[in-house]
Amino acid sequence: MLELRDIKYSKGDNEIIKGINMKFEEGNVYCIIGNNGVGKSTIGYIIMGLSDYRPSQGNIFLDGKDITELSLTERAKSGISLLWQEPARFDGITVENYLKLNRDMKKEEIEETLKLVNLEPSRYMRRYVDKKLSGGERKKVELASCILLKPKYVIMDEPDSGIDIMSLDMIVKVINHFKKMGSAVIVITHRKEIAINCGYSYLICAGKVFLDGESKKIVSYYEKTCDNCGHVNYLEEE
Amino acid sequence: MDIVKGYEKEFEELVEIYEKNTNDKSLRSPGVATIIVSGNKVVGLNSVKGMHIKSKERADGLVMIDVEIEDNTIIPIPVHLCTGFLKKRGEQILKFNYIIGSNVKVKFKSHCILTKVEKLHHYMESDMYIGKNSFVTYEDEHFHDEGGGVFVETITRMKIDEGSFFSSKFYETKTRVGRINVVMDIELLKDAKADLESKIYGREDDIIDIKEVLRLNGENSSGIAKSTVFATDRTNAHVVNEAYGNAPYARGHIECNEIVKGNSVEVSTLPLLKVMNDKAELTHEASVGRINQVQLETLMAKGLTEEEAAEFIVNGLLS
Ligand SMILES: Nc1ncnc2c1ncn2[C@@H]1O[C@H](COP(=O)(O)OP(=O)(O)OP(=O)(O)O)[C@@H](O)[C@H]1O
Ligand SMILES: [Mg+2]
Repeated sequence: MLELRDIKYSKGDNEIIKGINMKFEEGNVYCIIGNNGVGKSTIGYIIMGLSDYRPSQGNIFLDGKDITELSLTERAKSGISLLWQEPARFDGITVENYLKLNRDMKKEEIEETLKLVNLEPSRYMRRYVDKKLSGGERKKVELASCILLKPKYVIMDEPDSGIDIMSLDMIVKVINHFKKMGSAVIVITHRKEIAINCGYSYLICAGKVFLDGESKKIVSYYEKTCDNCGHVNYLEEE
Repeated sequence: MDIVKGYEKEFEELVEIYEKNTNDKSLRSPGVATIIVSGNKVVGLNSVKGMHIKSKERADGLVMIDVEIEDNTIIPIPVHLCTGFLKKRGEQILKFNYIIGSNVKVKFKSHCILTKVEKLHHYMESDMYIGKNSFVTYEDEHFHDEGGGVFVETITRMKIDEGSFFSSKFYETKTRVGRINVVMDIELLKDAKADLESKIYGREDDIIDIKEVLRLNGENSSGIAKSTVFATDRTNAHVVNEAYGNAPYARGHIECNEIVKGNSVEVSTLPLLKVMNDKAELTHEASVGRINQVQLETLMAKGLTEEEAAEFIVNGLLS
Protein backbone atom coordinates (compact mmCIF):
# COMPACT_ATOMS: atom_id res chain seq x y z
CA MET A 1 0.00 0.00 0.00
CA LEU A 2 1.13 3.53 -0.85
CA GLU A 3 -0.05 6.20 1.50
CA LEU A 4 0.21 10.00 1.58
CA ARG A 5 -0.20 11.48 5.05
CA ASP A 6 -0.92 15.16 5.46
CA ILE A 7 1.26 16.23 2.53
CA LYS A 8 1.87 19.92 1.96
CA TYR A 9 3.92 21.43 -0.80
CA SER A 10 4.83 25.01 -1.64
CA LYS A 11 6.55 26.72 -4.50
CA GLY A 12 7.96 29.97 -3.19
CA ASP A 13 5.18 31.66 -1.22
CA ASN A 14 2.54 29.74 -3.06
CA GLU A 15 1.15 26.72 -1.20
CA ILE A 16 0.04 24.41 -3.98
CA ILE A 17 -0.80 21.29 -1.98
CA LYS A 18 -2.49 22.06 1.29
CA GLY A 19 -2.47 18.90 3.33
CA ILE A 20 -3.72 15.81 1.55
CA ASN A 21 -4.25 12.19 2.58
CA MET A 22 -4.53 9.37 0.05
CA LYS A 23 -4.24 5.60 0.01
CA PHE A 24 -3.52 3.33 -2.94
CA GLU A 25 -3.63 -0.45 -2.84
CA GLU A 26 -2.09 -2.80 -5.36
CA GLY A 27 -4.49 -4.30 -7.90
CA ASN A 28 -6.86 -1.32 -7.78
CA VAL A 29 -7.45 1.60 -10.12
CA TYR A 30 -7.68 5.12 -8.70
CA CYS A 31 -8.54 8.42 -10.25
CA ILE A 32 -7.35 11.87 -9.34
CA ILE A 33 -9.80 14.25 -10.94
CA GLY A 34 -10.07 18.02 -10.92
CA ASN A 35 -9.99 21.16 -13.01
CA ASN A 36 -6.87 22.70 -14.58
CA GLY A 37 -4.31 23.97 -12.12
CA VAL A 38 -5.73 22.41 -8.94
CA GLY A 39 -2.53 20.45 -8.27
CA LYS A 40 -3.05 17.02 -9.84
CA SER A 41 0.31 16.77 -11.62
CA THR A 42 1.99 18.16 -8.52
CA ILE A 43 0.62 15.27 -6.47
CA GLY A 44 1.99 12.84 -9.07
CA TYR A 45 5.44 14.46 -8.95
CA ILE A 46 5.49 14.41 -5.16
CA ILE A 47 4.73 10.68 -5.12
CA MET A 48 7.37 10.01 -7.78
CA GLY A 49 9.89 12.13 -5.85
CA LEU A 50 11.07 14.60 -8.51
CA SER A 51 13.84 16.83 -7.22
CA ASP A 52 11.78 20.04 -7.04
CA TYR A 53 8.86 18.30 -5.36
CA ARG A 54 9.95 17.56 -1.82
CA PRO A 55 6.92 18.02 0.45
CA SER A 56 7.24 20.78 3.03
CA GLN A 57 5.24 18.69 5.45
CA GLY A 58 3.88 15.16 5.75
CA ASN A 59 5.08 11.69 4.86
CA ILE A 60 4.77 9.08 2.17
CA PHE A 61 4.65 5.42 3.15
CA LEU A 62 5.21 2.40 0.96
CA ASP A 63 4.09 -0.84 2.60
CA GLY A 64 4.47 0.82 5.97
CA LYS A 65 7.98 2.13 5.26
CA ASP A 66 8.53 5.90 5.21
CA ILE A 67 9.90 6.75 1.75
CA THR A 68 9.63 10.54 2.02
CA GLU A 69 13.41 10.89 2.00
CA LEU A 70 14.05 8.32 -0.76
CA SER A 71 15.55 9.62 -3.99
CA LEU A 72 13.84 9.49 -7.34
CA THR A 73 15.95 6.53 -8.47
CA GLU A 74 15.25 4.63 -5.25
CA ARG A 75 11.52 5.20 -5.53
CA ALA A 76 11.58 3.98 -9.12
CA LYS A 77 13.48 0.90 -7.99
CA SER A 78 10.93 0.24 -5.29
CA GLY A 79 8.23 0.04 -7.96
CA ILE A 80 6.80 3.53 -8.48
CA SER A 81 6.51 4.78 -12.03
CA LEU A 82 5.20 7.90 -13.76
CA LEU A 83 3.62 8.43 -17.15
CA TRP A 84 4.45 12.09 -17.80
CA GLN A 85 1.80 14.47 -18.99
CA GLU A 86 4.34 15.86 -21.52
CA PRO A 87 7.19 13.36 -21.86
CA ALA A 88 10.68 14.73 -22.64
CA ARG A 89 12.35 14.25 -26.01
CA PHE A 90 15.74 12.62 -26.58
CA ASP A 91 17.98 13.14 -29.60
CA GLY A 92 19.70 10.12 -31.06
CA ILE A 93 17.88 7.51 -28.96
CA THR A 94 15.73 5.02 -30.81
CA VAL A 95 12.35 3.89 -29.54
CA GLU A 96 13.84 0.42 -29.17
CA ASN A 97 16.76 1.59 -27.00
CA TYR A 98 14.53 3.92 -25.02
CA LEU A 99 12.23 1.05 -24.14
CA LYS A 100 15.11 -1.31 -23.47
CA LEU A 101 16.89 1.19 -21.22
CA ASN A 102 20.17 -0.72 -20.77
CA ARG A 103 18.29 -3.83 -19.70
CA ASP A 104 18.45 -7.27 -21.26
CA MET A 105 15.15 -7.57 -22.97
CA LYS A 106 13.75 -9.73 -25.73
CA LYS A 107 12.89 -7.88 -28.90
CA GLU A 108 9.55 -9.71 -28.96
CA GLU A 109 8.60 -8.28 -25.59
CA ILE A 110 9.23 -4.74 -26.85
CA GLU A 111 7.27 -5.42 -30.03
CA GLU A 112 4.35 -6.87 -28.12
CA THR A 113 4.23 -3.82 -25.89
CA LEU A 114 4.29 -1.43 -28.84
CA LYS A 115 1.34 -3.30 -30.33
CA LEU A 116 -0.49 -2.97 -27.03
CA VAL A 117 -0.25 0.83 -27.31
CA ASN A 118 -1.27 0.83 -30.98
CA LEU A 119 2.16 1.50 -32.45
CA GLU A 120 3.22 -0.75 -35.33
CA PRO A 121 6.66 -2.10 -34.25
CA SER A 122 8.17 -2.17 -37.76
CA ARG A 123 7.38 1.51 -38.19
CA TYR A 124 8.51 2.71 -34.77
CA MET A 125 11.37 0.61 -33.38
CA ARG A 126 14.04 2.54 -35.32
CA ARG A 127 12.47 5.99 -34.97
CA TYR A 128 14.07 8.42 -32.57
CA VAL A 129 12.36 9.61 -29.39
CA ASP A 130 13.05 13.18 -30.52
CA LYS A 131 11.04 16.20 -31.64
CA LYS A 132 10.00 14.44 -34.83
CA LEU A 133 7.57 12.13 -33.05
CA SER A 134 4.10 13.63 -32.78
CA GLY A 135 2.73 14.38 -29.32
CA GLY A 136 0.45 11.36 -29.42
CA GLU A 137 3.17 9.03 -30.69
CA ARG A 138 5.54 10.22 -27.96
CA LYS A 139 2.89 9.64 -25.33
CA LYS A 140 2.26 6.11 -26.58
CA VAL A 141 6.00 5.34 -26.46
CA GLU A 142 6.02 6.57 -22.85
CA LEU A 143 3.05 4.36 -22.09
CA ALA A 144 4.97 1.39 -23.54
CA SER A 145 7.98 2.34 -21.41
CA CYS A 146 5.84 2.34 -18.25
CA ILE A 147 4.37 -1.04 -19.10
CA LEU A 148 7.83 -2.55 -19.58
CA LEU A 149 8.92 -1.28 -16.16
CA LYS A 150 6.24 -3.50 -14.58
CA PRO A 151 5.61 -1.03 -11.76
CA LYS A 152 3.76 -1.83 -8.56
CA TYR A 153 2.37 1.71 -8.55
CA VAL A 154 1.90 3.60 -11.78
CA ILE A 155 0.87 7.24 -11.93
CA MET A 156 -0.64 8.07 -15.30
CA ASP A 157 -0.79 11.84 -15.75
CA GLU A 158 -3.47 12.62 -18.33
CA PRO A 159 -2.91 9.39 -20.27
CA ASP A 160 -5.36 10.51 -22.94
CA SER A 161 -3.97 14.00 -23.59
CA GLY A 162 -2.65 14.32 -27.13
CA ILE A 163 -4.08 10.95 -28.01
CA ASP A 164 -6.91 10.57 -30.52
CA ILE A 165 -10.39 9.41 -29.51
CA MET A 166 -9.74 6.15 -31.36
CA SER A 167 -7.06 5.33 -28.80
CA LEU A 168 -9.21 5.91 -25.73
CA ASP A 169 -10.08 2.21 -25.79
CA MET A 170 -6.36 1.45 -25.86
CA ILE A 171 -5.83 3.49 -22.68
CA VAL A 172 -8.58 1.59 -20.92
CA LYS A 173 -6.97 -1.64 -22.15
CA VAL A 174 -3.59 -0.56 -20.75
CA ILE A 175 -5.15 0.37 -17.40
CA ASN A 176 -6.68 -3.09 -17.25
CA HIS A 177 -3.34 -4.62 -18.23
CA PHE A 178 -1.71 -2.96 -15.22
CA LYS A 179 -4.56 -4.06 -12.99
CA LYS A 180 -4.19 -7.65 -14.16
CA MET A 181 -0.46 -7.44 -13.39
CA GLY A 182 -1.47 -6.53 -9.86
CA SER A 183 -0.33 -2.90 -10.05
CA ALA A 184 -2.06 0.01 -8.40
CA VAL A 185 -3.00 2.46 -11.15
CA ILE A 186 -3.36 6.14 -10.30
CA VAL A 187 -4.98 7.93 -13.22
CA ILE A 188 -4.90 11.71 -13.35
CA THR A 189 -7.55 13.02 -15.70
CA HIS A 190 -10.46 15.32 -16.30
CA ARG A 191 -12.07 13.05 -18.79
CA LYS A 192 -15.10 11.24 -17.42
CA GLU A 193 -14.84 8.34 -19.92
CA ILE A 194 -11.54 7.46 -18.30
CA ALA A 195 -12.51 8.30 -14.73
CA ILE A 196 -15.61 6.13 -14.87
CA ASN A 197 -13.37 3.10 -15.47
CA CYS A 198 -11.56 3.64 -12.20
CA GLY A 199 -12.62 2.16 -8.90
CA TYR A 200 -11.98 4.94 -6.42
CA SER A 201 -11.63 8.65 -7.07
CA TYR A 202 -10.14 11.68 -5.37
CA LEU A 203 -11.60 14.99 -6.43
CA ILE A 204 -9.01 17.71 -6.03
CA CYS A 205 -9.83 21.37 -5.62
CA ALA A 206 -7.36 24.10 -4.69
CA GLY A 207 -4.68 21.67 -3.55
CA LYS A 208 -6.97 19.69 -1.27
CA VAL A 209 -8.95 16.47 -1.53
CA PHE A 210 -12.43 17.92 -1.78
CA LEU A 211 -14.31 14.64 -2.06
CA ASP A 212 -13.33 11.01 -2.37
CA GLY A 213 -15.17 7.78 -2.85
CA GLU A 214 -16.50 5.39 -5.45
CA SER A 215 -15.65 6.76 -8.93
CA LYS A 216 -19.22 6.81 -10.29
CA LYS A 217 -20.36 9.01 -7.44
CA ILE A 218 -17.38 11.37 -7.63
CA VAL A 219 -17.54 11.68 -11.41
CA SER A 220 -21.22 12.54 -11.38
CA TYR A 221 -20.59 15.18 -8.71
CA TYR A 222 -17.65 16.52 -10.74
CA GLU A 223 -19.78 16.72 -13.88
CA LYS A 224 -22.58 18.53 -12.16
CA THR A 225 -20.56 20.92 -10.02
CA CYS A 226 -16.98 21.34 -11.19
CA ASP A 227 -17.34 21.08 -14.95
CA ASN A 228 -18.84 24.53 -15.20
CA CYS A 229 -17.33 25.94 -12.03
CA GLY A 230 -13.96 26.74 -13.52
CA HIS A 231 -12.40 28.26 -10.43
CA VAL A 232 -9.70 26.56 -8.45
CA ASN A 233 -10.13 28.39 -5.16
CA TYR A 234 -13.44 26.93 -4.12
CA LEU A 235 -12.30 26.22 -0.58
CA GLU A 236 -10.95 29.71 0.04
CA GLU A 237 -14.10 31.29 -1.28
CA GLU A 238 -16.26 29.19 0.97
CA MET B 1 44.73 -3.17 -54.52
CA ASP B 2 48.22 -1.82 -55.22
CA ILE B 3 50.27 -2.11 -52.09
CA VAL B 4 53.58 -0.32 -52.39
CA LYS B 5 56.54 -2.71 -52.15
CA GLY B 6 58.29 -2.62 -48.82
CA TYR B 7 55.19 -1.22 -47.06
CA GLU B 8 53.17 -4.42 -46.76
CA LYS B 9 53.66 -4.54 -43.00
CA GLU B 10 52.48 -0.97 -42.42
CA PHE B 11 49.49 -1.60 -44.66
CA GLU B 12 48.58 -4.73 -42.68
CA GLU B 13 48.98 -2.97 -39.36
CA LEU B 14 46.72 -0.04 -40.33
CA VAL B 15 44.06 -2.28 -41.79
CA GLU B 16 44.09 -4.40 -38.66
CA ILE B 17 43.65 -1.41 -36.33
CA TYR B 18 40.84 -0.16 -38.53
CA GLU B 19 39.08 -3.52 -38.56
CA LYS B 20 39.41 -3.87 -34.81
CA ASN B 21 37.91 -0.42 -34.18
CA THR B 22 35.06 -0.61 -36.64
CA ASN B 23 34.28 -4.26 -37.36
CA ASP B 24 34.37 -3.26 -41.03
CA LYS B 25 36.23 -5.79 -43.16
CA SER B 26 35.77 -4.13 -46.54
CA LEU B 27 39.18 -2.44 -46.86
CA ARG B 28 40.85 -5.38 -48.59
CA SER B 29 38.06 -6.04 -51.00
CA PRO B 30 39.00 -5.40 -54.65
CA GLY B 31 35.65 -3.76 -55.38
CA VAL B 32 36.27 -1.02 -52.83
CA ALA B 33 38.09 2.16 -53.79
CA THR B 34 40.71 2.94 -51.15
CA ILE B 35 43.51 5.35 -50.43
CA ILE B 36 45.75 4.31 -47.58
CA VAL B 37 48.37 6.67 -46.25
CA SER B 38 50.86 5.77 -43.57
CA GLY B 39 52.94 8.64 -42.28
CA ASN B 40 54.23 10.49 -45.30
CA LYS B 41 53.79 7.60 -47.69
CA VAL B 42 50.84 6.41 -49.75
CA VAL B 43 51.02 2.68 -49.08
CA GLY B 44 47.90 1.42 -50.82
CA LEU B 45 45.71 2.61 -53.67
CA ASN B 46 42.72 1.04 -55.30
CA SER B 47 40.57 2.74 -57.85
CA VAL B 48 37.26 1.81 -59.41
CA LYS B 49 35.70 2.61 -62.78
CA GLY B 50 35.14 6.33 -63.35
CA MET B 51 37.49 7.35 -60.56
CA HIS B 52 41.11 8.45 -60.90
CA ILE B 53 43.52 8.80 -58.03
CA LYS B 54 46.98 10.33 -58.30
CA SER B 55 49.41 10.76 -55.48
CA LYS B 56 52.70 12.53 -55.02
CA GLU B 57 55.04 12.57 -52.07
CA ARG B 58 57.34 15.55 -51.81
CA ALA B 59 60.77 15.44 -50.30
CA ASP B 60 59.67 17.78 -47.51
CA GLY B 61 57.09 15.21 -46.42
CA LEU B 62 53.95 16.72 -47.96
CA VAL B 63 51.63 14.11 -49.45
CA MET B 64 49.39 15.32 -52.27
CA ILE B 65 46.45 13.29 -53.47
CA ASP B 66 44.21 14.16 -56.40
CA VAL B 67 40.89 12.43 -56.72
CA GLU B 68 38.83 12.88 -59.82
CA ILE B 69 35.46 11.33 -60.49
CA GLU B 70 34.06 11.42 -64.01
CA ASP B 71 30.58 12.72 -64.83
CA ASN B 72 27.72 10.24 -64.43
CA THR B 73 29.68 7.90 -62.18
CA ILE B 74 27.84 6.05 -59.48
CA ILE B 75 30.07 4.35 -56.95
CA PRO B 76 27.87 1.97 -54.97
CA ILE B 77 30.37 1.05 -52.26
CA PRO B 78 31.91 3.75 -50.05
CA VAL B 79 35.36 5.04 -50.99
CA HIS B 80 37.72 4.57 -48.04
CA LEU B 81 40.34 7.12 -47.11
CA CYS B 82 42.51 5.74 -44.41
CA THR B 83 45.23 7.90 -42.96
CA GLY B 84 47.40 6.55 -40.19
CA PHE B 85 50.60 7.19 -38.38
CA LEU B 86 52.50 4.31 -36.87
CA LYS B 87 55.61 6.03 -35.51
CA LYS B 88 55.60 7.61 -32.07
CA ARG B 89 56.21 11.24 -33.02
CA GLY B 90 56.22 13.46 -36.02
CA GLU B 91 54.15 15.40 -38.47
CA GLN B 92 51.80 14.30 -41.20
CA ILE B 93 50.79 16.83 -43.82
CA LEU B 94 48.22 15.89 -46.41
CA LYS B 95 46.72 17.87 -49.24
CA PHE B 96 43.67 16.43 -50.96
CA ASN B 97 42.20 17.83 -54.12
CA TYR B 98 38.86 16.47 -55.23
CA ILE B 99 37.15 17.18 -58.50
CA ILE B 100 33.81 15.49 -58.64
CA GLY B 101 31.82 15.60 -61.85
CA SER B 102 28.15 16.11 -62.51
CA ASN B 103 25.52 13.45 -61.80
CA VAL B 104 27.89 11.58 -59.57
CA LYS B 105 26.87 9.58 -56.55
CA VAL B 106 29.61 8.76 -54.08
CA LYS B 107 30.17 8.23 -50.39
CA PHE B 108 33.55 8.80 -48.75
CA LYS B 109 34.51 7.20 -45.48
CA SER B 110 37.56 8.68 -43.94
CA HIS B 111 39.27 7.23 -40.90
CA CYS B 112 42.17 8.68 -39.15
CA ILE B 113 44.09 6.08 -37.20
CA LEU B 114 46.40 7.73 -34.73
CA THR B 115 46.20 5.28 -31.86
CA LYS B 116 49.91 4.60 -31.46
CA VAL B 117 51.39 8.05 -31.35
CA GLU B 118 52.75 10.07 -28.45
CA LYS B 119 53.05 13.43 -30.15
CA LEU B 120 51.79 14.13 -33.63
CA HIS B 121 50.63 17.03 -35.72
CA HIS B 122 48.23 15.76 -38.36
CA TYR B 123 47.35 18.44 -40.87
CA MET B 124 44.91 17.77 -43.67
CA GLU B 125 43.81 20.36 -46.16
CA SER B 126 41.14 19.49 -48.69
CA ASP B 127 39.61 21.30 -51.60
CA MET B 128 36.55 19.81 -53.16
CA TYR B 129 34.51 20.85 -56.13
CA ILE B 130 31.23 19.05 -56.72
CA GLY B 131 29.64 19.39 -60.17
CA LYS B 132 25.95 19.66 -60.92
CA ASN B 133 23.22 17.38 -59.60
CA SER B 134 25.58 15.15 -57.70
CA PHE B 135 25.13 13.46 -54.36
CA VAL B 136 28.18 13.27 -52.13
CA THR B 137 28.54 12.24 -48.52
CA TYR B 138 31.68 12.37 -46.42
CA GLU B 139 32.07 10.67 -43.06
CA ASP B 140 35.14 11.31 -41.01
CA GLU B 141 35.88 9.22 -37.98
CA HIS B 142 38.90 9.57 -35.76
CA PHE B 143 40.72 7.15 -33.49
CA HIS B 144 43.38 8.77 -31.38
CA ASP B 145 45.82 7.80 -28.69
CA GLU B 146 44.52 8.07 -25.12
CA GLY B 147 47.54 10.11 -24.00
CA GLY B 148 46.19 13.26 -25.63
CA GLY B 149 49.31 13.99 -27.71
CA VAL B 150 47.50 14.18 -31.02
CA PHE B 151 46.90 17.54 -32.69
CA VAL B 152 44.57 17.25 -35.65
CA GLU B 153 43.87 20.07 -38.04
CA THR B 154 41.49 19.56 -40.92
CA ILE B 155 40.72 22.45 -43.20
CA THR B 156 38.14 21.85 -45.90
CA ARG B 157 37.02 24.27 -48.59
CA MET B 158 34.23 23.30 -50.90
CA LYS B 159 32.18 24.54 -53.76
CA ILE B 160 28.91 22.76 -54.43
CA ASP B 161 27.48 23.41 -57.85
CA GLU B 162 23.86 23.64 -58.93
CA GLY B 163 21.42 21.07 -57.66
CA SER B 164 23.97 19.00 -55.78
CA PHE B 165 23.72 17.62 -52.27
CA PHE B 166 26.59 17.26 -49.86
CA SER B 167 26.56 15.92 -46.34
CA SER B 168 29.40 15.51 -43.91
CA LYS B 169 29.74 13.92 -40.52
CA PHE B 170 32.79 14.49 -38.40
CA TYR B 171 32.93 12.23 -35.34
CA GLU B 172 35.56 12.10 -32.64
CA THR B 173 33.67 10.50 -29.79
CA LYS B 174 35.29 7.14 -29.12
CA THR B 175 38.85 8.07 -28.21
CA ARG B 176 40.69 11.03 -26.67
CA VAL B 177 40.70 14.16 -28.80
CA GLY B 178 43.95 15.72 -27.70
CA ARG B 179 43.72 18.93 -29.67
CA ILE B 180 41.51 19.36 -32.67
CA ASN B 181 40.85 22.17 -35.08
CA VAL B 182 38.17 21.59 -37.69
CA VAL B 183 37.36 24.18 -40.33
CA MET B 184 34.71 23.66 -42.99
CA ASP B 185 34.00 26.42 -45.42
CA ILE B 186 31.35 25.68 -47.96
CA GLU B 187 30.01 27.64 -50.88
CA LEU B 188 26.65 26.63 -52.29
CA LEU B 189 25.37 27.53 -55.74
CA LYS B 190 21.81 27.49 -57.04
CA ASP B 191 19.60 24.77 -55.52
CA ALA B 192 22.57 23.16 -53.79
CA LYS B 193 22.11 21.67 -50.34
CA ALA B 194 24.54 20.89 -47.56
CA ASP B 195 24.16 19.15 -44.24
CA LEU B 196 27.14 19.34 -41.88
CA GLU B 197 27.31 17.60 -38.57
CA SER B 198 30.11 17.31 -36.04
CA LYS B 199 30.15 15.49 -32.74
CA ILE B 200 33.04 15.62 -30.35
CA TYR B 201 33.58 14.26 -26.84
CA GLY B 202 36.20 16.17 -24.86
CA ARG B 203 37.99 14.63 -21.89
CA GLU B 204 40.82 15.70 -19.58
CA ASP B 205 42.57 18.75 -21.03
CA ASP B 206 41.38 18.36 -24.63
CA ILE B 207 41.17 21.46 -26.78
CA ILE B 208 38.43 21.64 -29.39
CA ASP B 209 37.98 24.28 -32.06
CA ILE B 210 35.27 24.00 -34.68
CA LYS B 211 34.41 26.47 -37.37
CA GLU B 212 31.70 25.83 -39.90
CA VAL B 213 30.82 28.35 -42.59
CA LEU B 214 27.92 28.17 -45.00
CA ARG B 215 28.05 30.58 -47.94
CA LEU B 216 24.63 30.43 -49.51
CA ASN B 217 25.49 32.16 -52.76
CA GLY B 218 23.00 30.52 -55.08
CA GLU B 219 19.27 31.09 -55.34
CA ASN B 220 17.31 28.55 -53.31
CA SER B 221 20.44 27.00 -51.83
CA SER B 222 20.14 25.63 -48.33
CA GLY B 223 22.39 24.41 -45.59
CA ILE B 224 22.43 23.14 -42.03
CA ALA B 225 25.51 23.13 -39.83
CA LYS B 226 25.12 21.39 -36.51
CA SER B 227 27.74 20.78 -33.84
CA THR B 228 27.43 18.84 -30.63
CA VAL B 229 30.20 18.93 -28.06
CA PHE B 230 30.24 17.06 -24.78
CA ALA B 231 32.85 18.74 -22.64
CA THR B 232 34.06 17.06 -19.44
CA ASP B 233 37.02 17.46 -17.05
CA ARG B 234 39.15 20.43 -18.16
CA THR B 235 38.06 20.49 -21.80
CA ASN B 236 38.30 23.76 -23.67
CA ALA B 237 35.85 23.97 -26.58
CA HIS B 238 35.13 26.83 -28.92
CA VAL B 239 32.58 26.58 -31.71
CA VAL B 240 31.99 29.17 -34.42
CA ASN B 241 29.13 28.74 -36.87
CA GLU B 242 28.58 31.22 -39.66
CA ALA B 243 25.95 31.44 -42.35
CA TYR B 244 25.75 33.99 -45.14
CA GLY B 245 22.51 34.35 -47.06
CA ASN B 246 23.58 36.03 -50.28
CA ALA B 247 20.85 34.99 -52.68
CA PRO B 248 17.07 34.97 -52.86
CA TYR B 249 15.36 32.07 -51.09
CA ALA B 250 18.61 30.86 -49.60
CA ARG B 251 17.95 29.13 -46.28
CA GLY B 252 20.49 28.38 -43.62
CA HIS B 253 20.32 26.97 -40.12
CA ILE B 254 23.20 26.71 -37.70
CA GLU B 255 23.01 24.90 -34.43
CA CYS B 256 25.45 24.33 -31.63
CA ASN B 257 24.83 22.31 -28.49
CA GLU B 258 27.54 22.14 -25.90
CA ILE B 259 26.87 19.97 -22.91
CA VAL B 260 29.20 20.54 -20.02
CA LYS B 261 30.03 18.38 -17.06
CA GLY B 262 32.11 19.62 -14.16
CA ASN B 263 33.32 23.03 -13.11
CA SER B 264 36.65 23.14 -14.90
CA VAL B 265 35.49 23.11 -18.50
CA GLU B 266 35.59 26.19 -20.66
CA VAL B 267 33.20 26.28 -23.58
CA SER B 268 31.83 28.92 -25.87
CA THR B 269 29.79 29.22 -29.02
CA LEU B 270 29.64 32.08 -31.45
CA PRO B 271 26.98 32.15 -34.14
CA LEU B 272 27.07 34.66 -36.97
CA LEU B 273 24.25 35.16 -39.42
CA LYS B 274 24.58 37.65 -42.22
CA VAL B 275 21.88 38.28 -44.80
CA MET B 276 22.63 40.15 -48.02
CA ASN B 277 19.34 39.47 -49.71
CA ASP B 278 15.93 40.21 -48.22
CA LYS B 279 14.53 36.93 -49.47
CA ALA B 280 17.15 34.83 -47.70
CA GLU B 281 16.34 33.31 -44.33
CA LEU B 282 18.82 32.28 -41.66
CA THR B 283 18.21 30.83 -38.22
CA HIS B 284 20.32 29.61 -35.35
CA GLU B 285 19.93 27.64 -32.18
CA ALA B 286 22.51 27.37 -29.47
CA SER B 287 22.75 25.98 -26.00
CA VAL B 288 25.55 25.69 -23.53
CA GLY B 289 24.92 24.03 -20.21
CA ARG B 290 24.61 20.88 -18.25
CA ILE B 291 22.46 17.95 -19.25
CA ASN B 292 18.77 18.80 -19.36
CA GLN B 293 17.27 18.21 -15.91
CA VAL B 294 13.89 17.00 -17.18
CA GLN B 295 15.59 14.42 -19.40
CA LEU B 296 17.69 13.25 -16.45
CA GLU B 297 14.69 12.93 -14.16
CA THR B 298 12.66 11.16 -16.83
CA LEU B 299 15.26 8.40 -16.88
CA MET B 300 15.87 8.41 -13.13
CA ALA B 301 12.12 7.89 -12.70
CA LYS B 302 12.70 4.63 -14.55
CA GLY B 303 15.34 3.51 -12.07
CA LEU B 304 18.59 4.77 -13.61
CA THR B 305 21.03 6.57 -11.34
CA GLU B 306 21.94 10.13 -12.27
CA GLU B 307 25.26 8.91 -13.74
CA GLU B 308 23.60 6.20 -15.79
CA ALA B 309 20.95 8.60 -17.03
CA ALA B 310 23.59 11.16 -18.06
CA GLU B 311 25.55 8.52 -19.94
CA PHE B 312 22.40 7.30 -21.71
CA ILE B 313 21.53 10.83 -22.84
CA VAL B 314 25.05 11.69 -23.98
CA ASN B 315 25.40 8.42 -25.90
CA GLY B 316 22.30 9.39 -27.81
CA LEU B 317 23.54 12.90 -28.52
CA LEU B 318 26.90 11.67 -29.76
CA SER B 319 25.73 8.58 -31.65
N1 LIG C 1 6.94 26.52 -11.12
C1 LIG C 1 5.80 26.97 -10.58
N2 LIG C 1 5.77 28.12 -9.91
C2 LIG C 1 4.62 28.58 -9.37
N3 LIG C 1 3.45 27.92 -9.46
C3 LIG C 1 3.43 26.76 -10.12
C4 LIG C 1 4.60 26.21 -10.73
N4 LIG C 1 4.28 25.06 -11.31
C5 LIG C 1 2.96 24.88 -11.10
N5 LIG C 1 2.45 25.91 -10.41
C6 LIG C 1 1.06 26.08 -10.01
O1 LIG C 1 0.66 24.98 -9.23
C7 LIG C 1 -0.71 24.69 -9.47
C8 LIG C 1 -0.85 23.21 -9.71
O2 LIG C 1 -0.24 22.84 -10.91
P1 LIG C 1 -0.42 21.40 -11.52
O3 LIG C 1 0.42 21.31 -12.72
O4 LIG C 1 -0.21 20.41 -10.46
O5 LIG C 1 -1.96 21.42 -11.94
P2 LIG C 1 -2.84 20.30 -12.64
O6 LIG C 1 -3.98 20.03 -11.75
O7 LIG C 1 -2.00 19.16 -13.02
O8 LIG C 1 -3.36 21.06 -13.91
P3 LIG C 1 -3.65 20.54 -15.42
O9 LIG C 1 -5.01 19.94 -15.40
O10 LIG C 1 -3.66 21.80 -16.23
O11 LIG C 1 -2.57 19.62 -15.79
C9 LIG C 1 -1.14 25.55 -10.64
O12 LIG C 1 -1.94 26.58 -10.16
C10 LIG C 1 0.13 26.08 -11.20
O13 LIG C 1 -0.04 27.37 -11.74
MG1 LIG D 1 -1.35 18.39 -14.88
